Amino acid sequence: MDKRDITLIVNGSPSMVSVEPRKLLVDVLREDLGLTGTHIGCEHGVCGTCTVLLNDRSVRSCITFAVQADGARIRTVEGLANGADLHPLQDEFWDKQGLQCGYCTPGMLMRACEIIEQNPDPSPEQVREGIASNLCRCTGYQFIVEAVCAAASRMRGDEQRPHQATTPTEAKA
Amino acid sequence: MTTVSRPEPPPARTHKEVRKWIGKSIRRVEDPKFLRGRGGYIGDMTLPGMLHAAMLSSPYAHARITGIDTAEALAAPGVHAVITGAQAAELTGPLPDFGPNPAAHTWRCLAVEKVRYVGEGVAVVVADSRYLAEDALALINVDYEPLPPVTDMERALEEGAPLVHEDLGSNCAYERTFQFGEVERDFADADVVISDRLRWRRSGGQPLETVGALADFDLATGQLTVHTNSLSFTSYLFMVAGTLKIPANKLDIRPMPAGGSFGSKLFATKPAVIAGMCSRAAGRPVMYLEDRVDNISNCDHHGSDRVYDVQLALMRDGTMRGIKIDTVDDYGAYIQFGVGHHGNALAQVVGPYRIASVEYRVRAALTNKNQQGAYRGFGSEVNNWMLEQMVDKAARQLGIDPVEIRRRNFIREFPYFIPTGNVYDSGDYDGVLDKALKLADYDYWRAEQARAREEGRYIGIGLITAQERSVFSATEFWFWFDKPGAPVTSMPESVTLKVDATGGITATLYSCAFWGNSPETMVAQLVAEEFDCDPRDVSIVYQGSKNGLPATGPGGSRTTVMLAGAVEGASAKIKAKARRATAHLLEASPDDLEWVDGGYQVKGSPEARKTLAEIAVMLHLFKHSFPEDMESGLEDSKVFDHPYTTMPSADRKDLGVFYPFMGHACHVPVIEVDIETGRVSFLSYAAVHDCGTLVNPRSLAGHIVGGTAQGIGTALYEEYVYDEGGQLLTSSYLDYLIPTAMEVPELKFAHHETPSPWTPHGIKGGGEGGRMMAPAAINVAVNDALAPLGVRLTELPLTPDRILAAIRAARESPR
Amino acid sequence: MKPPPFRYAAPTSVEEVLGLLAANADDDPRVLAGGQSLVPLMNFRLAQPGFLVDLRLVEALTTLRADGDVLVIGAMVRQSAAERSPEVALAAPLLAEALGYVAHPPIRNSGTVGGSLAHADPSAELPAVALALDAQLVAAGPGGTRAIPAAEFFRGPFTTALEPGEILTEVRVPRWEGAGGHAFVEFARTHGNFALVGVAAMIELDEDIVTRASIALSGVASTPVRAVAAERTLAGTSADAATIEAAVNAAADELSPAGDLHGSTETRTDIARSYLRRGIKLALSRAQDRR
Repeated sequence: MDKRDITLIVNGSPSMVSVEPRKLLVDVLREDLGLTGTHIGCEHGVCGTCTVLLNDRSVRSCITFAVQADGARIRTVEGLANGADLHPLQDEFWDKQGLQCGYCTPGMLMRACEIIEQNPDPSPEQVREGIASNLCRCTGYQFIVEAVCAAASRMRGDEQRPHQATTPTEAKA
Repeated sequence: MTTVSRPEPPPARTHKEVRKWIGKSIRRVEDPKFLRGRGGYIGDMTLPGMLHAAMLSSPYAHARITGIDTAEALAAPGVHAVITGAQAAELTGPLPDFGPNPAAHTWRCLAVEKVRYVGEGVAVVVADSRYLAEDALALINVDYEPLPPVTDMERALEEGAPLVHEDLGSNCAYERTFQFGEVERDFADADVVISDRLRWRRSGGQPLETVGALADFDLATGQLTVHTNSLSFTSYLFMVAGTLKIPANKLDIRPMPAGGSFGSKLFATKPAVIAGMCSRAAGRPVMYLEDRVDNISNCDHHGSDRVYDVQLALMRDGTMRGIKIDTVDDYGAYIQFGVGHHGNALAQVVGPYRIASVEYRVRAALTNKNQQGAYRGFGSEVNNWMLEQMVDKAARQLGIDPVEIRRRNFIREFPYFIPTGNVYDSGDYDGVLDKALKLADYDYWRAEQARAREEGRYIGIGLITAQERSVFSATEFWFWFDKPGAPVTSMPESVTLKVDATGGITATLYSCAFWGNSPETMVAQLVAEEFDCDPRDVSIVYQGSKNGLPATGPGGSRTTVMLAGAVEGASAKIKAKARRATAHLLEASPDDLEWVDGGYQVKGSPEARKTLAEIAVMLHLFKHSFPEDMESGLEDSKVFDHPYTTMPSADRKDLGVFYPFMGHACHVPVIEVDIETGRVSFLSYAAVHDCGTLVNPRSLAGHIVGGTAQGIGTALYEEYVYDEGGQLLTSSYLDYLIPTAMEVPELKFAHHETPSPWTPHGIKGGGEGGRMMAPAAINVAVNDALAPLGVRLTELPLTPDRILAAIRAARESPR
Repeated sequence: MKPPPFRYAAPTSVEEVLGLLAANADDDPRVLAGGQSLVPLMNFRLAQPGFLVDLRLVEALTTLRADGDVLVIGAMVRQSAAERSPEVALAAPLLAEALGYVAHPPIRNSGTVGGSLAHADPSAELPAVALALDAQLVAAGPGGTRAIPAAEFFRGPFTTALEPGEILTEVRVPRWEGAGGHAFVEFARTHGNFALVGVAAMIELDEDIVTRASIALSGVASTPVRAVAAERTLAGTSADAATIEAAVNAAADELSPAGDLHGSTETRTDIARSYLRRGIKLALSRAQDRR
């Protein structure tokens, strides 16, 4: 099948890939770009595990052809942390135990990014309704809601917290 | 009660009074990789030259395969191999099967002469990509001769029903009636017998990650290496080697973290066998990763699917005497774990109550559906539900308050042997109940309920008290048979601890211990408690089966207790060597040394001291500083066997101890039923769990909330629905409804800690508990809400259809 | 669950789109809007178009403007953009409210207004809204452009009046002037899931009297349906509790929704009753607030 050359700007870096039109965005991210942080859960657009941000909007990469994203800015979980420093969302998910198996986590984090970017001061109810788009089988959602609210608070600058470094010897809370 | 001679329990342990790391809700050490999207799941793995497999599955529930033409598929672009069921039967043997009669209900990785359920695999294609493999599936032509399907379990047991396995001669794979205690006497003495018929329909774990395996067969060495997200019962992997027709010592299965399991990745051998078979056939590494439809229809881990006829015998004051349980369980087309799900039920069949006798009749029916496997609770959660519906019914009928009837029956002396022979090690059921009533604001909600009724609103409170057993023994596999073929008794877990020359500790785990539970954090905290180090400084690695020690893996809420035992054992061996080494270095007697704060020191002379790092570097590098018989290095392992297992009696009137560490919980959901639509909403939900000593309270709380969410799914939303023709109507998430964040309420939870006398630190398992309680509690709550309408629901899930139909029926024939 | 192969083009004008559809007519060509319905079907291999014409670069299809009394929404306007649009909030608040019920926000970021209408899922929200608001659906094809009234557009499950080679270009929604109250309500088993029943209601009051009522239902038939009997029952009345009940019964008596594993015919009828009542009451109270 004929391949098309497309450009995806992923986490700020442009990549040109040559893909069949039918290749799903999630597979291009994972296989062509080696970014395996975005996961596949259902491949029919229900579970939200594959969520990435496309031009700052959450989309389900399992029901998006990569060619539909030609020229778009894509943000994935790999782009959240700043080197050793975790993004406040990642740090709060860690602190509040907003993950257990970690499989839904990247999609959940990207969706949470969008929720906070659209509303920097969401109530727990708004967060809960916002994340209803993403299934989690492990946590029962409660600690995720806590984590997102705490992260939003930090991102508003409500609380000064030192970033948690992620090497074990440094992270002695 | 029949007196039975029982072996002595293990001596009661004394537990450390002051703990530094056990009991602390530290951040999980597993998390950073998952947070960064570097989890390393099976789907993330690639090997050079890797190919992809896709499976063609049966569209029929029951049909003979009369022909299969793969020529066009083989010629398709990118295709390297196509393997039919008949070919697979040459390349592989039957899959490992712990069922009652594997020779007659033979289970293979692909169907051979006939298909037995929609979704059963018929052929596999191996191609350059999953896309190309699926393209080729469409080119395979299969001729089917449909057979009449059998989908109703009770009809399956009738004369003349179509047979799922002709060789078995029946669709009843197993039948037995057990009697424990003096059933007829207790029923004769009772004032009243409460009866009911109850129906629990199958749901399943449905983790967001499916099962997958990447197999690499090396022709040069004959070695097959399989990476997969299921590695359990490693001592039984010789069976998988047998299936793959390779010597057991040429098979290496390496564990990958699992993106959820809830039981469904317990000994999931079929994907590994498919991948292994394909790798050998294609001469390249092959990845077989289920897609979602594969997993829903062919995962081999559907949950329990039971009908119960129950009778509970009580005195007028509500004290329970005996119970007669007659259950038929729809196992689907195969029965890989036998009726182990009923063993889990028998471990806690009387709940927290002093019921003296039990009759338990179980019939395992085979039908044209995917088979059962493990789902959080493994069949005991169904028993909890059944028993609590009966207690609820009894309370109503006798006019006794639901809290009061429970108090009148609670077991209060421990250890307590229940009629089946299993033991409850410790408990404080009143303490848990008191805490739950307070947390739930019970009195407030009873008043609210009354007020709401006057407004025509239907609020219900679902108070239940039930058990959550942990840590199963091997006897559960075979006490079903008077003459078991393999009365196995090993079900260990192992850990190796290594102290390097800097004093840094590495712990090696030997099973796919990570399913989303927290084995690394547990081990880190346990090791830290032993060695006074920081848990975040402990390095955790996993080892594959080839070089691995025996390990059972998670399941039956056993991981934390078993890892604790293994860590304790390995630590003791290391400390023993460290003590001897220190004694030699300090020229003291080993008995004069004590372990304090990360090192050994002379009692009374704390300046005469060696830290673990100082001891380790000496042992690693300075052999000549030590006696002849002391080997260099500081590393040891413990294969920790189940600490308290006893054999069943020959007459099976006593099944022995097989699940001794008994947790307990009280759930109090408050719900409202909209009688116009059948919707059930939560107004409040409180839960108190007692899982003994907690290692990481926050982590356990997470599992309780998550388990409760799955229980809500089982109670209200989730079901694998097969129609009369055996078509699976819920083959995707469009129809198999998983609760979102809007269906799960915020849970008010609290812990209660009654330590076990027999485990390290008094820990009990708790990973399954939330799901073991919620369905029972929600059913009781809905019945509590609808009682004024004369409605009582006895079938899960409680869908709008079932609720509205019951309300309509009650209106049309009011009692 | 990988999709089958197809040829693909992403043209920039409606003319090009129509040209590509015509040129590839023998290859089962389809247009790709947001893909939120089409791509899952392709992943299941239930749809296997040979040629996909991607509409995302056709700017002419992204118009969103008021044209006098008519709100014009281009077929490729994303559902989330329409949901947030001040023009939609002003001119068609029923549509704005209904959009909030379409699946989940991530789906709405990709999904389009035109795509949902052309897909014509009997449980979908936007077809019911189009019907309630007497929208005109504008199609462009080889024979030119035509405006199809909503009442004629939805022909059956996943079936519209669009001819092969025709595409939906925009939807024209007439504005309700005066004291109109809107309500969109629906019942789904889990949040964001396909609704068993949806109700799109508009009620206009003059003083206390209902001068106009427009009520459409989704999920109860093979297309969205207008609850004409209910509308007639309410018209000219003060819509007291008894009248509302009569309207609900009149509508329910006409219903015979097909049952499935999520709801039997009786269940769906019961839920339709309940939600009709809610929808009418909410639209009424909003109409009262607007006076």
